[in-house]
Amino acid sequence: MSQRVFITGYGIITSIGKNTQENFQSLTLRRCGFGELSILDTIHQKDLPACEIKLHDQELREAAGIKTEKGYTRTALLGLLALQEAIHSAGLSLTDIRNSGLISATTTGGIREFEKFFYQITDLQQQGDFDQFTDTANPGEHCERIADHVGIRQCIATVSTACSSSANAIMQGAQLIKAKKIDRVICGGAEALSKFTVNGFNSLMIVDPEHCRPFDNTRKGLNLGEGAAYLVLESEALVNQKRRKPLAELKGYGNANDSFHLTASSPEGTGAFNAMNLALSVAGFSAADVDYINAHGTATENNDLSEGMGIQRLFREQVPYFSSTKPYTGHTLAAAGSIEAVFCMMALQHQIIWPNLNFSSQMQEITISPVREMMQNTVLKNILSNSFGFGGNTSSLLFSLV
Amino acid sequence: MDERQHYYINGIGIISPQKTFEHDQFLQEICAYESNVLTCIIPSFKTYISPGQLRRLSRMHRIGLTAATMCLRDANVQVPDGIITASGYGFLEETEKFLTEMLERNEKQLTPTYFIQGTYNALAGLIALSTKCLGYNNTYVSKGFAFENALHDVMLQLSENSTSNFLVGSSDEAAKVLYAIGMRAQYYKVENIPNLKLFDSQTTGTIQGEGSAFFMVSGAPSATTWCAIKDLQMVYTPQHEGEFNLALTSFLEVNKIKLSEIDVWVSGASGNIEHDHLLHHLEKTVLQQTPQIRFKHLCGEYCTAVSFGLWIGASILKKQSIPDILKVSTPEFSLEKIETVLIVNQYLNRNYSFVLLKK
Amino acid sequence: MQQSIEELTAELREQLIEQLNLEDIIPESFDENTPLFGEGLGLDSIDSLELVVLLDRNYGIKLKDPKEGRAVFYSIRSMAEYIHNNRAQA
Repeated sequence: MSQRVFITGYGIITSIGKNTQENFQSLTLRRCGFGELSILDTIHQKDLPACEIKLHDQELREAAGIKTEKGYTRTALLGLLALQEAIHSAGLSLTDIRNSGLISATTTGGIREFEKFFYQITDLQQQGDFDQFTDTANPGEHCERIADHVGIRQCIATVSTACSSSANAIMQGAQLIKAKKIDRVICGGAEALSKFTVNGFNSLMIVDPEHCRPFDNTRKGLNLGEGAAYLVLESEALVNQKRRKPLAELKGYGNANDSFHLTASSPEGTGAFNAMNLALSVAGFSAADVDYINAHGTATENNDLSEGMGIQRLFREQVPYFSSTKPYTGHTLAAAGSIEAVFCMMALQHQIIWPNLNFSSQMQEITISPVREMMQNTVLKNILSNSFGFGGNTSSLLFSLV
Repeated sequence: MDERQHYYINGIGIISPQKTFEHDQFLQEICAYESNVLTCIIPSFKTYISPGQLRRLSRMHRIGLTAATMCLRDANVQVPDGIITASGYGFLEETEKFLTEMLERNEKQLTPTYFIQGTYNALAGLIALSTKCLGYNNTYVSKGFAFENALHDVMLQLSENSTSNFLVGSSDEAAKVLYAIGMRAQYYKVENIPNLKLFDSQTTGTIQGEGSAFFMVSGAPSATTWCAIKDLQMVYTPQHEGEFNLALTSFLEVNKIKLSEIDVWVSGASGNIEHDHLLHHLEKTVLQQTPQIRFKHLCGEYCTAVSFGLWIGASILKKQSIPDILKVSTPEFSLEKIETVLIVNQYLNRNYSFVLLKK
Repeated sequence: MQQSIEELTAELREQLIEQLNLEDIIPESFDENTPLFGEGLGLDSIDSLELVVLLDRNYGIKLKDPKEGRAVFYSIRSMAEYIHNNRAQA
């Protein structure tokens, strides 16, 4: 018999709050993180606003309790803060942590520091304090650093599948538990804004200088964001030993490839359909069992069309409530899957459906539209959370009330 | 009943600093390098990739996609059921091109091609596109564990569906910018050393390598099977020799393998006297009686170099021979029948792994 | 003296081949009227982004909306005409 997989804690930091409580409040008050950039040093501070966490690295270091140790990139700091909250929320002891795995996701790792000190680092004649960031530009570094900091020694892995990365990290954690390879894995992702990503997405001409409008007919692109979130996944066996009730069960997951184009999703939503369909079949559910979909909904022309078509194709006449929370946090790339998984946890715990902000005009190609106002007192049992990315990567997670 | 599942390598494609892309050869010609950087010997890409696709691929994408295509052909599989890639640093040459262009042009007038090419999952996406594979797709970028994570993921996927064919592979490039990083971080040797003399060296640091190796792994053997993977384990930052030796003996115990059954062990020694110390300790203790081979003098060191080691192990089991260039003098090799191969790798003395292979 | 459309087409041909690595795929029949996208040369959305930057870098012409490019980038001839008509007068 394979093990069931439960979520027993989580932690989060985004532009709408530096912990769970602040994020929850902002979501209910429709408070967004969108605005001019002031911490990231770029010429696009004013013309490409984004969802930035208004804390300098030094403030993040203090919040994470790092005094003198060097080499912590902003990505690692954000990740560490969210992870610390997740550990606390699940009530893990030091021994528990030692016996946990860590699967983290990022697309940029420490590129922010690398772009800042590029000329110094690559000139071997130069010496200085920048030296601490010599080898932090690779994506795996943040994961090992966080693991070392908190004392995780088992099962260390970093996933990078563009914007679906942390959904895949969570899925891998669930599969490890299911196959009885490990009893507890902390899964999620961390992503700091960088000039590299701001300019990269700008060169693709998919950044909207205005506040993004997912699933709206007038949508013009995404807003970038930064943040981190981690979920503590535990096996049924472990949960049975504890007295605490788990927060939710991870019942299903699906990972597929759209195989259409390196940077564009298929207009008919093949990958989206397959990922959601797989998640349902792993859970043994039919489409009618899904109460809410937290959509990927980046507000790019291409994603929302592809995802909308995929949803319509799978759910036909019975499309559940759906919304994208990207207007709140921006698109946090590799961290989006875990941040939105946390929003799904909150939705289940409080029986709330989060609104899709900035929607006003119906997309012409599809007949469905997202939830516009916060919905309370609905019955939420099963939620799908979608995360899609470049390279055709599409993933979907299915969370259920315990 | 308690026989654990095996995973079969049913095809391989590998491009490396040696001439490894033709399977009828097994290290018969050896490429010697005078500098500390080893780069791939490449086949003609046009045999494997269409001109339309080629024009937008960087050198490393070409190498990776070609290795993957060779693997598919070797395994006689048209469309794999899933694709998992691994890389420590991704496509650093392209990342650097976008970054320097961004810095030099002060964030203005940038083209997206290098940005797209630098994405870590670009290779897995490209393979999915060229094989029209709609199945599972993942990319691990966990430094010295990236390939092991990918292989472990394949084993997980196959435990849910054992008849599937999963394409799993590595790619890491000897980027110039990585050489600068590595020199500053003291990963590479300061003095110049010919690669074939790597293990005579008594200094710290190693030599820079690169490569891409793809494996078709399935829960069932086929007519093209190379060998079986029995098990895999990672050990993160072992603190001392005792802990590491114990990890190995427990791994063998779980797999019911006696030390005497291991015909040869493949050491991932990198020629760095400090980083290799746990492996040196193994050869003097637990594996004292087991013949040893090494491979990083042929491919150089990189995050996913263990994939070159896996090709070595699989080739030894398939061809039942061990090229002299791999052998470490003692103890004697008896070449009657090779049935069990153990790979023990290390990266930066932080990421350790064991891979157990059977004929 | 402003470049003629003929001079521009010749120049653009070289720039396109270089910027988009077309050397190995450009057919013998390719001329200034061959459609660059779809059934013609088969360029895609990433190429059109490259062309947007090419217009900006080499001719000082900014296209804000990639959709605007569809007509402009129809062929080398249409590109040359667009540049001829929209180039900032020196």
